[in-house]
Amino acid sequence: MTDPSDTTAERLSTRPAARLRSLAWVARRIGGGLFVLWMVATVIFFALRLIPGDPVDAILGGPGSQASTEAVAHIRADYGLDQPLIVQYFLAMAKLAMADFGTSYALKIAVAPYVLTQLWSTLVLTIASLVVAWILAVALTLVTSGRGGPARAVGSGLELLAAAVPHFWLASLLIIVLSNTLHWLPPISVPGPLGLILPVLTLALPLTGFLGQLMRESLANAYEQPFVVSARARGESEWGVRFRHVLRHAALPGISLSGWAFGSLLSGAVVVETIFARPGLGRTLLSAVSIRDIPVVTAVALLSALTFIIVTVATDAIDRIVDPRVATQ
Amino acid sequence: MSAPRILLLPLAIAATAALLAGCTATPEPAAEPISGGTLVYATGDAEPGCLDPHVGGNYPQALISTQYIESLVSKNADGEIIPWLATEWTESADGLTWDFTLRDDVTFTDGTAFDADAVKTNIEHLKDPNTASSTGYLAVGKIDGIDAVAANQVRFTLSAPDSALLESLSQPWVGIQSPTALERDQATNCESPIGTGPFIVTEWVKQQSITLERNENYNSAPDDAEHSGPALLDSLEWRFIPDAATRYAALQSGDVDVIDNAQPNNISSAESDPATAELNAPRPGASNRLELNSGKAPFDDERVREAFIRAVDVSPGIDSLFFGTAERSYSVLSSVEPDGVSMPDAFTVDPDAANALLDDAGWDMIDSDGYRTKDGVRLTLDFPISTNQSIPAEQSLFEQIQASAKDVGFEVNLKPTDLSSWYGALFTNEYNLVSAPYTKVGPDVLRILYHSDSIIPAPSGYYANLAQLSDPALDEILTTASQTSDAAERAALYEEAQSIIIDGYYVLPLYDQQNHYLYSTSVEGFRALPTVSAPTFYDAWLND
Amino acid sequence: MTEILAGRLSRSNPAGPTAHRWQQLGRNAGAAVAIAALLVILIAAIAPQLLTSADPDAVAPVDAFQSPSLTHLFGTDESGRDVYTRVVFGAANSLLIGIAATVVGLSLALALGMLGGLGGRVGDFVSTRVVEVMFALPGLLLALVFIAIVGPGVVTSTVAVGLSTAPGYARIIRSQLRSVRNSGYVEAATVLGHSRLRIVVQHILPGALAPIFVLGTLGVGQAIVWASSLGFLGLGVAPPAAEWGAMLSSGRTYIDVAWWLTVFPGLAIVATAASFTVLGRALNERTRQGALG
Repeated sequence: MTDPSDTTAERLSTRPAARLRSLAWVARRIGGGLFVLWMVATVIFFALRLIPGDPVDAILGGPGSQASTEAVAHIRADYGLDQPLIVQYFLAMAKLAMADFGTSYALKIAVAPYVLTQLWSTLVLTIASLVVAWILAVALTLVTSGRGGPARAVGSGLELLAAAVPHFWLASLLIIVLSNTLHWLPPISVPGPLGLILPVLTLALPLTGFLGQLMRESLANAYEQPFVVSARARGESEWGVRFRHVLRHAALPGISLSGWAFGSLLSGAVVVETIFARPGLGRTLLSAVSIRDIPVVTAVALLSALTFIIVTVATDAIDRIVDPRVATQ
Repeated sequence: MSAPRILLLPLAIAATAALLAGCTATPEPAAEPISGGTLVYATGDAEPGCLDPHVGGNYPQALISTQYIESLVSKNADGEIIPWLATEWTESADGLTWDFTLRDDVTFTDGTAFDADAVKTNIEHLKDPNTASSTGYLAVGKIDGIDAVAANQVRFTLSAPDSALLESLSQPWVGIQSPTALERDQATNCESPIGTGPFIVTEWVKQQSITLERNENYNSAPDDAEHSGPALLDSLEWRFIPDAATRYAALQSGDVDVIDNAQPNNISSAESDPATAELNAPRPGASNRLELNSGKAPFDDERVREAFIRAVDVSPGIDSLFFGTAERSYSVLSSVEPDGVSMPDAFTVDPDAANALLDDAGWDMIDSDGYRTKDGVRLTLDFPISTNQSIPAEQSLFEQIQASAKDVGFEVNLKPTDLSSWYGALFTNEYNLVSAPYTKVGPDVLRILYHSDSIIPAPSGYYANLAQLSDPALDEILTTASQTSDAAERAALYEEAQSIIIDGYYVLPLYDQQNHYLYSTSVEGFRALPTVSAPTFYDAWLND
Repeated sequence: MTEILAGRLSRSNPAGPTAHRWQQLGRNAGAAVAIAALLVILIAAIAPQLLTSADPDAVAPVDAFQSPSLTHLFGTDESGRDVYTRVVFGAANSLLIGIAATVVGLSLALALGMLGGLGGRVGDFVSTRVVEVMFALPGLLLALVFIAIVGPGVVTSTVAVGLSTAPGYARIIRSQLRSVRNSGYVEAATVLGHSRLRIVVQHILPGALAPIFVLGTLGVGQAIVWASSLGFLGLGVAPPAAEWGAMLSSGRTYIDVAWWLTVFPGLAIVATAASFTVLGRALNERTRQGALG
């Protein structure tokens, strides 16, 4: 996930130069991130206006309204919807640049605080799921790889199946088994950690499958690297080899893809939030799109993009730390 | 020698106590209502955008506003209009003036007094375009002027006689809010409206829940309530759980006490569960029915409409899909409407007759896929379905209708979409079949749904007469009925109206608007208000 | 993932020759099972009449909610339709959407990748930014907005899923193209004076396309799961079409009285997606070994 235009042929070993390079990298990434945000805002602006239907309906609280012609015209003027599209675009971009996300068409409240609250709830869910998925994937891979025979096949098979399971199906199965039958956990998301377990498991298990498969491949590749031979020659134990040397390299593709995984978790969160009655960005997005609440959809899109960019930059930074080779590629 | 005066007081007290005990010596209920506790209610309906039912005006708003806002009148289980915030009313001889006497001992929860001025402010609020009221606006459509004749006397002046006025005023969408609260900006009022009801909105966590707390000064229970004074429960927690399976699971696990929009299979399971009880409260107004768009081909031909109705056998499907919890309806109106007329003979299923009718109507060629054609055009019916409004069992029923219609050569295109797209299809007249529930108290709903005026769209594009029925005779009957105050005459007129609608094959009734509540047996005193069948927790208490 | 697919050193198992052979056997058995499963699914998609004689849309309210039996292998649904038949006929829809969506995603990714890998600095800049924007928008958001614009249906589902998966493919393809472009034999061809077009067609494209096939096979499984999620949200194909996601969605409502409505379509999705993944990985192994052999 390194920026491909960052090609340097030299291997600079001087510290100040390396620090400067790091700073330049950070600056470049921030600039790139802002650019992406602007592009996302533009795409969303025009895409949402392509959706058939009049935004005024959403503001009036739904298409079945009895509002008079004057009321409709009044609202149109109020919200600036009677201006030419390009004017609306520049006004919208200007507002966004000043972090003014406007008012929700349907809920008539300020969008920013509302979406942020929902984001928090979803973040808790997705980060917990990512962490759990990582832990499970690492554990499964470390324990079952490197040896031949059944353990490896079983581990591999489990990961395969887990990655192929749709979220909503898994959620139903988990609810049937852990809630309806065993009564261990509540079927809906209640406040507190207990209500978080089933939603997190639902999102984490398929991701575990995916990450596990990935790690297994790169673990096997990493075993063939020369440094493993030299480590073994130095007399390191098998577990020492695994932890100190191999894991670092094996984790690389997983770390790189965590950014993408985060994005897919956000998408999966929609289903999980719907089924477990959990507030969150996913549900907010679903209902906002269906009632054409443009300010909310815009805010969700930008917030997701921002989160994604932050996660990507963070994982790239971790990449650079875990594998210094990346910094000089 | 007279007893010392000091003994008079305890004697007086004892005597009073004895008297009171005698007065209240009615047979005691099995268990004593316990005060206190929080009841958790989980709704499957959409989360309202605004808690003020004047704004917009849909059923989800009615569900919750019933807890904190009250109306001038109510309805009892026998269908009679009973006093609530208004104690008496008179209609002038020409029907153009109505006088209401209001209670003088009621205050809103923000301390403002309930009086004629408050009522005036509320009606004006409904009529104000800035409020963007739909349902309430229509309900008070004929009210031209409001006068606060005295502190507790208000006079309505109408543009035309309105026999449905009391029914309209009993609805939650015309509920009375504090005029002081209405002066706030709409966004603030939407967050926590102020009424006279047994509970007060204290907190709203969007997409999650609303908290309502007991109104300690409550004293305006309607006549058919079980007790008077403040509610028994300390508070209500109103949760939003749109997924039906999850909602029922939450009831079973004890995380919630009452749920609405119970699915048929859950109701059926609950029947054998001693810890769960059911409350069946069909919504008033129209029944749940299919409308056939007579405004364009092919349903502009009455023979084709009749053929469709003869072809589809919906009763077996309703029976199996709804697990016996929904009864087949043969009426345009809900079964809770006393003026509703049921005509089962008009809906006999006869595929042979259907085929004959279609042949007669010129649809006698059959193409390679088995659908009828005429002049090269296929007999296609577009049927948009709102996934928000149609529960899965209903969507499956529509699939069955599609299959049986295919047997006689109709091609039915089912189009499940979200609510906005659904309205879009209706506004652009891109539908032949549609199922659009309409909840209103009283048979005047027939005028809203089948008068030709209702084909004219509002500025937002909305119109209610989806069957696009335009019959001057029917219009005449409906207008006259809405101005006739004589109950018997009114009933006869509405019966005639329903005959015209059914005989014209404009409508295929399915069942009442389903409104089933499932609740834990630890909840006592829970009932649905006979107006729009919204739940009221005023008399409710928790027995555990 | 780039490194995995670009093919690195040959694999030698640290655990020894016997385990290696067991592994080979296991892997071959796995691949065989996957291929067999995919064949069945393919037959179900192309010639369902070979697997079932019933009509998937035959409504029979009296037979509703029957549990699995000899007459109805997977039971019947809420309208009395045979679930086994609907699962079989559903293969066509799900497979069609899965494969088509992957093709859409790969094509888009290929176009972007070509632009980026071969279009010079400008092309590279543009394609990188496009990919980043597509990546930044959550897949479901793209799908929801697209469906809101165009309306639900098979084509819409396909394009929506394709759009969501394109950025992932694009990134891989671009790296692939870049490494091929910088490789030795392209350099040699340039020195030899071959035309740009010839270089592209003879060397770069084949190098880029090889992993695409593997990527696609791996991706079809994910696309099918994605499409079923859209069906679950009510945004998929129109009824009464049998589609596994929609069947799962409506089956969930009746989960307390009819577990078979949820279990069997779900198993079908898992089996298909897993089989495609196994096949993809087996192909990956083959190409890797082939590259060395």
